[in-house]
Amino acid sequence: MALNRRQFLVGAGGLAAAATTMGLGACAPGSSGGSGSQGGGGGGGTNLALAFWGNPTRNKNTQAEIDAYMKANPGVTISGQPGEFNTYWDKLATQTAGGNAPDIIQMDMNYISEYGSRGALLDLSKVDVSKFVEGTVDSGKINGKLVGINAGINSAIIFASPKVFEKAKMDLPDDKTWTWDQLIEFSAEVASKAGASFGLASLLQSDALFGTFVRQHGKELFTENGLGFDVAEAQGWYDLMLKGQKAKAFGTPEQASEEQPKPLDQSAIVVGTAAMQAYNTNQLEAVSAAAGQQLKILRGASLAGKATERKTWYKASMLWSASAKTKNPDAAIAWINWFANSPDAANIDLAERGIPPNAEILAEVKPKLSPAQQTVAKYISDIKTEVATTPIAPPPGGGTIATVLFRHGIDVLFGRTSSADGAQKFVDEMKSNLQR
Amino acid sequence: MSAISELSTIHRTKAKTPEEKRLLAKEAGRDNKAGYLFLLPWLIGLVLIIGGPMIASLYLSFTNYSLIQAPEWVGLDNYVRMLSDPRLHKSLAVTFTYVIVGVPLQLIMALAVAMLLNEGMKGLPFYRSVFYLPSMLGSSVAIAVLWRQMFEVDGLVNQVLRKFGIPATTSWIGDPQYALWTIILLHVWTFGSPMVIFLAGLRQIPGMYYEAASVDGASKWAQFRKITLPLLSPIIFFNLVLQIINAFQAFTQAFVVSNGTGGPADSTLFYTLYLYQRGFVQFQMGYASAMAWLLVVIIGVFTAVNFYFSKHWVFYGD
Repeated sequence: MALNRRQFLVGAGGLAAAATTMGLGACAPGSSGGSGSQGGGGGGGTNLALAFWGNPTRNKNTQAEIDAYMKANPGVTISGQPGEFNTYWDKLATQTAGGNAPDIIQMDMNYISEYGSRGALLDLSKVDVSKFVEGTVDSGKINGKLVGINAGINSAIIFASPKVFEKAKMDLPDDKTWTWDQLIEFSAEVASKAGASFGLASLLQSDALFGTFVRQHGKELFTENGLGFDVAEAQGWYDLMLKGQKAKAFGTPEQASEEQPKPLDQSAIVVGTAAMQAYNTNQLEAVSAAAGQQLKILRGASLAGKATERKTWYKASMLWSASAKTKNPDAAIAWINWFANSPDAANIDLAERGIPPNAEILAEVKPKLSPAQQTVAKYISDIKTEVATTPIAPPPGGGTIATVLFRHGIDVLFGRTSSADGAQKFVDEMKSNLQR
Repeated sequence: MSAISELSTIHRTKAKTPEEKRLLAKEAGRDNKAGYLFLLPWLIGLVLIIGGPMIASLYLSFTNYSLIQAPEWVGLDNYVRMLSDPRLHKSLAVTFTYVIVGVPLQLIMALAVAMLLNEGMKGLPFYRSVFYLPSMLGSSVAIAVLWRQMFEVDGLVNQVLRKFGIPATTSWIGDPQYALWTIILLHVWTFGSPMVIFLAGLRQIPGMYYEAASVDGASKWAQFRKITLPLLSPIIFFNLVLQIINAFQAFTQAFVVSNGTGGPADSTLFYTLYLYQRGFVQFQMGYASAMAWLLVVIIGVFTAVNFYFSKHWVFYGD
């Protein structure tokens, strides 16, 4: 044999090295999606690709909406591209980089400025938003340009488990007057009386409730110039968490750390180890279904103990955007306009994407909503007088805030760093993320 | 006569005159052509699928590239930024710990099981498959999810410990002190593929060596040290090189166990995970490309060092 063993091994080593680099090169998956923007296909019709992330219900609804739209608009062909949230963004990024982004894009608040501020999204000022509730349009504005249409109203909130409260033999608190300190005391009490791990779970990483906390201090999460708050506010938040931990209100650091990566159906309030958990309103139905009980909702706390001063806002649970490079901008706009203003779309979607921001549409579908959705719809209209201005969308790099807030917070809770140092690191890292 | 043996005959017969040398070179050239022809499918793949993207990523590593806008040349900026990026340094520390602790443990485990299986037990194919199974499952999402549930506060591990009266309340997956070790354990558990290679290597060692050694009164341990280890050293070396390269690229386990965050508190922030976060979460593909090239250099250095030191301990029979 001409090849001796040494040569074979050297060759194999080389192969392995090649495999290494291949693994890295393959970081950008050759996504085969993006077939949508081929435009003007057979019969002179218009072809649109519509990408969205979803769940089984949303996938079914969206396809029904597409079918209804195509029936009403012969000549338009829409191909739906459902996806799963995490992989959705990898795929969208590579498609956009390759110049074949889908025509219509379901967008998230944390990503909209990554795309919008870089000119990747179509100007949607032609979409009719005149019927939208005040404060629901601004979420989709990037640098003053409307590039995203609110597809459902959302708001950061606290879910409460009636079963655990029953066990503790306690009533729900008065959420219109509670302060952060009372929230801690109350959480500690219910946790100890019910023997639950958490009085309140997942507060640390709730960027939206942290947002209200920062705004109660007269600051903002983000401004046009970058980060809108200082180390002091961040430290205030971490101190609050330490206080809650000490009072046994928010679980142990281990439990808090374990809870974070869990999927919805394994979350603490679902499995019964938490009395309360921080969530967004549009998740009430799914979490209630998973928990097998109708969960209650509570407002977040405030410094002043007044719900009207807690500076919450109408968040967009998701938005509709269109690619700036679409070959059929008018057709894409027409579809988004239809979704935002037509009862046909709303009758299928109901409140699955969040409470419809269009007041007339909401009135139309309200009687058809499920009990959970009714609760949310009532809440959204109840807080109409409590909401403050809508903050700007997180600028590029700002979408990381929840994970960075949580990561340094966990370091603080484990006592690996002081709240002052943790807050400093959090602010430094956010500033550096925002730089590019 | 096959092409290879023909070639070796030619090489063995020494060329004397220039005329013969030319003929030989021509002969060799013709053989090479055939060789390249056979290699063609692989070469095309190498150039198009690996070479092209690699050159592109080298270029991108000198740019600021958000994936959405066109890349903008920034020179060595990305590489300079890497010097002062605390999370990058953390991810290097995590990855080095994983490689330096995980790989030797995994190989020792693999060798131990391979030797056990080499004792000529009944039903060897069955056991071999069973022990190989984790290798195929280990980097799968399902196992990583299972791992998370085993090592949480009320997970299987703590429940078993409590059955034995140990008041276990540590969250192995939630405490930054231990989280990485659970993933290293997962890595060790997937010892199947080096084990199969070890097993093949062990079978090649002629039994008469051991017989002779026993006759001379050598203990089992001496036999292991003086016969098994030296004769197996090329295989050990092969496994070591491959597993180090593999371990540097670990991604799935950390991604699933921490849900892509590298948490708790970055304690499982593997290098590749951080690279992914930079590229796809923070839209800094230029920086991510620079990181990829640093990893290529690191793996290259590790492999080179491995080969350098192999002279001192790897014994080739021929």
